[in-house]
Amino acid sequence: MKTLRIALAVALAAATLLALRPGPAGAVPVFARKYGLNCTNCHSGFPRLNDWGQRFRANGYRLPGRENEEKTVLESPPPFALRTSAGYTHERFYGGAKGMDASGFRVHGLDLLSAGVIAPHVSYLMVYPPQLSDSSRGVPGQEGTIEMASVVFSDLGSPWLNVRAGRFEPAYAAFSVKRHLTITPYEVYDYGFPGGSRFSETREGLELTGSGHGFAYAAGLVNGSATNRPYDGQADVYARAARVFGAGEGQTTGQRIGVTGYLGRTRPLEGIDALQTFSRFGVDASLNLKQVNLAAQWLYAQDEKALWDPVLADDVCWSGFFVELSCQPLVECVAFARYDQVDGPGGIVQEDVTRLTGGGRYYFADNLALHLEYSRRTLDTAARTDPIEDLATARLDFGF
Amino acid sequence: MRERWAAPLLATALVGLTVAWSTGALGQFLANGPLPPVPVPSDNPQTDAKVRLGAQLYFDTRLSADNTISCATCHDPKTGWANHHPTDTGIRGQVGGRNSGTILDAAHMRVQFWDGRAASLEEQALGPIHNPIEMGETLENVVRKLNAIPGYKAQFNTVFGTDVNTDGIAKAIAAFERTVVSGPAPYDRWLAGEKTAMPPDAVRGLGLFNGKGHCSPCHSGPAFSDQGYHNIGVGTGKQNPDLGREAVTKDRRDRGRFKTPGLRNCALTGPYLHDGSEKTLADVIAYYDRGGIANQDLDPLMLPLNLTPREKADLVAFLEALTGIQPNITPPALPEAGAAQEGGSR
Repeated sequence: MKTLRIALAVALAAATLLALRPGPAGAVPVFARKYGLNCTNCHSGFPRLNDWGQRFRANGYRLPGRENEEKTVLESPPPFALRTSAGYTHERFYGGAKGMDASGFRVHGLDLLSAGVIAPHVSYLMVYPPQLSDSSRGVPGQEGTIEMASVVFSDLGSPWLNVRAGRFEPAYAAFSVKRHLTITPYEVYDYGFPGGSRFSETREGLELTGSGHGFAYAAGLVNGSATNRPYDGQADVYARAARVFGAGEGQTTGQRIGVTGYLGRTRPLEGIDALQTFSRFGVDASLNLKQVNLAAQWLYAQDEKALWDPVLADDVCWSGFFVELSCQPLVECVAFARYDQVDGPGGIVQEDVTRLTGGGRYYFADNLALHLEYSRRTLDTAARTDPIEDLATARLDFGF
Repeated sequence: MRERWAAPLLATALVGLTVAWSTGALGQFLANGPLPPVPVPSDNPQTDAKVRLGAQLYFDTRLSADNTISCATCHDPKTGWANHHPTDTGIRGQVGGRNSGTILDAAHMRVQFWDGRAASLEEQALGPIHNPIEMGETLENVVRKLNAIPGYKAQFNTVFGTDVNTDGIAKAIAAFERTVVSGPAPYDRWLAGEKTAMPPDAVRGLGLFNGKGHCSPCHSGPAFSDQGYHNIGVGTGKQNPDLGREAVTKDRRDRGRFKTPGLRNCALTGPYLHDGSEKTLADVIAYYDRGGIANQDLDPLMLPLNLTPREKADLVAFLEALTGIQPNITPPALPEAGAAQEGGSR
């Protein structure tokens, strides 16, 4: 076993050194490797997509206009990639009687990715974070569940008809949680009634998408919350429409606005056994001026009262938003600042959240970034203890 | 224990496999340079005598109707084997609609002309001669005129075993053009490991070329051309826009598409684009930075680039680093009418 470990360590080190060899054509993950392009072809700075990358993704991971020249995974380099990050993180929780610190060097997860074209009009993406657990050292691990595994059927007679099936990141989250700049989450995407699924989660289901002439739509059916039972047979439905003004996709050029609607049914975590309805309505915008992007999302929610607390007199409404400003003066660096706010249900339940985040990323190479971030999250609870969470982190984020 | 090592083992295997393969894949992609040997068709092998003959024909204005225009008029070695005019002027002051592409390294292009209507250099060589706007001569007249020049007649008999004919004219000019190739550029030397061959701004420009600049999806391969056709919007706002490739294929989907030009030595060959509408490389990059000109046939990969001034300058620096060693070719002495004369030199 010792020999195996040494061999593995040497192999990993050698592979890493090769992957991180200097130069603008340093090793890049799966798509970039396939096409021989740098990460910045599709990412304004990984992981966030630029307009080109957005168009590539929407086209089923095929170069738009070059579909006839696409090579399948069998004709391309092995369609595998890894992404991980490691660094130092300081977290401090305080509020109430005593604060608590949690600091140290950590590996912040590992993703195995595979993607490619299977056949004309058919492609796939899979993201698998293998199980990493080190509870003995107090480091949170990750579960070995498939985060994404979807097949995309593209351009089914028209660019207005594309189908994605499997487990994927639904389009109702206007700003990708998997490809955003910050480590800290969009609060409004993570907020909700106990046991309910979050906008930030990947979901299993079916999604139709299409785009053209500055318009884009998405509509889907996805499985409900984890509290649903297998025999419920219920599927949440959603729809999204977006309009881009000017050339681009609204990622780094052009101005994009969008609306989202979501209707779901699920069982309350406790109490009433019947399915209850909840809905979401969102408005979003992504505005660009030269190297500056302003991203904003507002979300309004209406949940049947039983989902929060059966004793409530009325259904529950809550809303939230975030505004994120990012600036990328050079391809090597990006700075960001974001304000999150969620106005929780008033009355009996009150749990407002605010978060202020700032930081930046410096790219030593296309696939290697130094990530610096500070974030303060304040929870305004009914108990008025106002717990505060501070997070400061410096980590290396790399994919190969 | 087995489970504990399963993930690292899998990861190692994937990384090793991927990196091993990608090293080759990237190497293949980045082998944009150096240029491989010029491909030579089996029915027109290179010989010194044929190249000398082709050189004379290339520089001879007698191939035009009024004896004023030669191939070199528009494809001048002093101006990167192209021409510094947006579009060129042929016989009787007629102005063409397209920019003269460079002959330099044209042998590495699979097809010739902006719309790709010539499948070979041989086919291309005759085109301008009988184009009414360019050299305006009939092929029959050219053959007759050249046969009346003993120096040409003798050389054709030596090289092809016949008197002057159109096939021989085409083959000789094409053979000469296959010698008009550039040597290694700073980029090639940089790629070969000479890390000082390109200045830092050009190295940054290479990163942009393959990344944020979105250049390499089309400008790929040894000649920095995918040898394909794309609508980047040039000229689409004009009243009677050039149909480009559609005029050749009659396929509506080819409207406004033009051949991706190679980029080697592009610093020498301005103005740029098929209509010569952009004067400098900086202008071209500014054009792409704007995302081209919107039209319903615009290539879907044409998007605004959002480049900073430094990034634009870096891209220009990289393009300038594609300027290779120029071929040492001087205009040969031409055969005079009525007197056999050896000519041509390299």
